[in-house]
Amino acid sequence: MIAVLGLVVGVVVGLLVRPEVPAVVEPYLPIAVVAALDAVFGGLRAMLDGIFVDKVFVVSFLSNVVVAALIVFLGDKLGVGAQLSTGVVVVFGIRIFSNAAAIRRHVFRA
Amino acid sequence: MSTEDSPQQGEEEVRAQEPVAQRPSTGRQRLIAGLWPPRVTRAQLVVALLLFVLGLGLAIQVRSNSDDSALRGARQEDLVRILDELDDRTQRLEDEKQKLDDQKVELENSSDQAEEARKQTLEKERQLGVLAGTVAAQGPGITLTITDPHSTVEADMLLDAIQELRAAGAEAIQINDVRVVADTYFSDNDGGIQVDGRKVAAPYRFEVIGKPQDLEPALNIPGGVVQTLEKEQAIATVARSEKIVVDALRPAKRPDYARSSPQ
Repeated sequence: MIAVLGLVVGVVVGLLVRPEVPAVVEPYLPIAVVAALDAVFGGLRAMLDGIFVDKVFVVSFLSNVVVAALIVFLGDKLGVGAQLSTGVVVVFGIRIFSNAAAIRRHVFRA
Repeated sequence: MSTEDSPQQGEEEVRAQEPVAQRPSTGRQRLIAGLWPPRVTRAQLVVALLLFVLGLGLAIQVRSNSDDSALRGARQEDLVRILDELDDRTQRLEDEKQKLDDQKVELENSSDQAEEARKQTLEKERQLGVLAGTVAAQGPGITLTITDPHSTVEADMLLDAIQELRAAGAEAIQINDVRVVADTYFSDNDGGIQVDGRKVAAPYRFEVIGKPQDLEPALNIPGGVVQTLEKEQAIATVARSEKIVVDALRPAKRPDYARSSPQ
């Protein structure tokens, strides 16, 4: 419950305060958000499976974000930033869908 | 990359949140138990913190994508490309502006020139009109009056007078109310004189525009027009004037065959 509240508060604060993102970080923000979404869906699935561990969730969340940003950064340096970020988004999309399917099976039993 | 997979590989540290006493069996029950009642545990707080960060990033990204320009968050190479395109476009528009400016200047010049040419043409038309007798003329000159009490004056005497006046630089001449031009002719007809087929009667009054200091001596020279006329017992008087008006007109004739030619 508190976790859901945290998400809601984050969205509200982001919309209201409109913080300035440093220009260096800006290109990596969308990818980082997608990576974090993947981690959240994975955590939700683990919780439904009854195997949720907060330490694992924290590590997976942070490493997802960092690695995704790193890949995009590397891609930018190599001149294939656009293609690599597309690849990262595709991979995370697939994972999110498979996790969402597992969650759906738990919640709707279908 | 990102080999971690919390659902599958997180098994080694399975530690259920719920009290052992009433461990729910299904995922749905676990979800409901997690949601309500709210419990302040370390796991909940950590997850809440991370989700807060996620929500923040999500909101920022959505916001910057939707309300700000599309340039925000664009990649460096895209920005460079967009900048290049803008530069090209600016260059093209500058070129176009330059071209249009040139055209404008050209048009203004040509309209100025056309105006100038029109003025010159008008001026020329007036000058030629004076010569052709189609417009009235005025200026300094003399008046030559020939009275003919004995009817001895003939056409050739008037012609002599005209020749003399022309040689002295007369620019516009009229006799009584007939304009004298290049193709004027004189003829004797049953006791009268005709100029251009129109009868003129004594006294013959010449209105002549020209330099008076040239015209008057030209008529008065010994053996000249005045003396010749006096020999015929006609009386010729010459009077200078600062303002002579030659207002007898002739219709403009259009030549049937001759056309103006360049050069």
